[in-house]
Amino acid sequence: MVLTQKLHEAFKGTVERITNPRTVSAFKEKGVLSISEFVLAGDNLVSKCPTWSWESGEPSKRKSYLPAGKQFLITRNVPCLRRAASIEDEYEAAGGEVLLDNEDNDGWLATHGNPKDNKHEEEENLPSMETLEIGKKNTIQSISSHFGGEEEEDIPDMAEYEEPDNLIETDPATLQSTYLVAQEPDDDNILRTRTYDVSITYDKYYQTPRVWLTGYDESRMLLQPELVLEDVSQDHARKTVTIEDHPHLPGKHASVHPCRHGAVMKKIIDVLMSRGVEPEVDKYLFLFLKFVASLQHISQMEAANLL
Amino acid sequence: MTEKEKGSVLQFAPFQSAVDEGFWHRLSSLKLNKFGIDDSPIPITGFYAPCTNSRVSNHLSLIAESLPPEPSEQSSVATSLGNRNRCSVPGILYNTNTLEGFHSLDKQCLLKAEAKKIWDDIHSGKAEEDSAVLSRFLLISFADLKKWSFHYWFAFPALVLDPPATLVDLKPASQWLSLEEAESLSAACNEWRSSSVTADVPFFLVSIASNSRATIKHLKEWTSCQQDGDKFLFGFYDPCHLPTNPGWPLRNFLALICSRWNLEKVCFFCYRENRGFADLSLSLIGEALISISQGWKDPQQVPNAVGWELNRGKKVSKCISLAQSMDPIRLAVSAA
Repeated sequence: MVLTQKLHEAFKGTVERITNPRTVSAFKEKGVLSISEFVLAGDNLVSKCPTWSWESGEPSKRKSYLPAGKQFLITRNVPCLRRAASIEDEYEAAGGEVLLDNEDNDGWLATHGNPKDNKHEEEENLPSMETLEIGKKNTIQSISSHFGGEEEEDIPDMAEYEEPDNLIETDPATLQSTYLVAQEPDDDNILRTRTYDVSITYDKYYQTPRVWLTGYDESRMLLQPELVLEDVSQDHARKTVTIEDHPHLPGKHASVHPCRHGAVMKKIIDVLMSRGVEPEVDKYLFLFLKFVASLQHISQMEAANLL
Repeated sequence: MTEKEKGSVLQFAPFQSAVDEGFWHRLSSLKLNKFGIDDSPIPITGFYAPCTNSRVSNHLSLIAESLPPEPSEQSSVATSLGNRNRCSVPGILYNTNTLEGFHSLDKQCLLKAEAKKIWDDIHSGKAEEDSAVLSRFLLISFADLKKWSFHYWFAFPALVLDPPATLVDLKPASQWLSLEEAESLSAACNEWRSSSVTADVPFFLVSIASNSRATIKHLKEWTSCQQDGDKFLFGFYDPCHLPTNPGWPLRNFLALICSRWNLEKVCFFCYRENRGFADLSLSLIGEALISISQGWKDPQQVPNAVGWELNRGKKVSKCISLAQSMDPIRLAVSAA
């Protein structure tokens, strides 16, 4: 971890300890959420997109300002198809795009529901939480995950422990799955699917939601967070997307840094309001996930259909 | 359908396991602070949900909460009962003290012991009261806490029908049902999945009356609802996404259906979702014929079981190294 990042984390931690959580709504003014608004928006997400659920996480990491059973939101097993599928059509279909420029001109692209639609339709137009489609850029051969790799020189070669054939009987009723073939196929026509557990926590310092990614390879082995960064454009890995301690789960996880979330959400809200759509705070997480899914910074996941 | 009438062997897509980091963290901590060298089996809980995507199967997840709470956490909040994304599956963990111990476990014997539990629960009627016991799992592991690496192997015991069931027909539920029936079944499933009482009940009965109205019932209501449905389906939460095969949990359900309820022709319903709602074009309905041998009818004789998970197609255990996030020396170096 970079030193400045560490210092900032320490500073942020201190501020979080001594400040009271936000209780007054500043959703329209600043694009941020109070604790109760976060819970409200989370409840709405869970009811509209039931693949999301509230969890309580590690008891020792529980935040007292959030209800014990509603510490963070999670959806598991979001596939990330590693193939060169063009997703632009899908974007067009989901409604226009707004380029939200910022000072350092790397342009945060945020899609939004077609603003002409009424609210109900806007919801219908939200992209589906089906797939995180990943560009072809990824190097398939580097899927070592935690299995093998130079770090694990101490681990004995498992092949020598291969069981005699009589352990697993040949059972005619067991489907011999293609994804269980012994050899990694080389040709790119075969789908290799990483999956992600995506969680949303409340960041008390920035007063916004924050997104975390935990990756699994195609045989559902945990991916090192570094390998998650492979799915992130290299220009932005470790800048916008960093690897940090999850506030409610053990271990290091990849996260979209929330420092600009408030500002971007504010812009999205302004755009909606300028088009006569009154944003509702319980829809915040829908807008937020659309924004995260469309981040150019994590371009390999730009089609992340998080809803 | 006629050319298929002779039928092919009904094949089931194996269950896949996924273990998150939290599980290994808590296991290490329990091993160090509570179990010590005691290597007696530990009851654990796995979680699964119906397939929710046409492109990837769901799997059995182990998370920190799969293990008993740590001694310091007795005040743990009640686990989210009725969480629709977390249907619990009872499991057992054999965590050995040495790598040699891990490799010398009698895997066939352990699998048989779990299969016997399933078989006994079928015959005692327990499986009808609490259908979750139909899908047990078994995990053997060795936690190398010096290197922070974990060797492990899952098994999803399935009773093997002898001879195997034959598949007469299998197609998307939306094609098998009329439009009205499909709509009614969809609504009934969504209601079942959104009630906290039934959301995590993975096996159920569906009867569709002549007026196209679908009702979902608990397994224990079997005797009372045999008469009323014109169409009768045996439903289960299917983690598999394939349009060609049902998923693993159906195996022990069929064992229950044929040995306890003596049915030879079974219409099964592989319940799957899209974005968290019933999707009857992804869900499948199939017809299977079962004609089990005489020996299968004897409750005293536990049938053969299969179910050790393959690792990339091989009969080997898996190994994961978490030194990067667990080794205090490495953590200290990276923090420096």
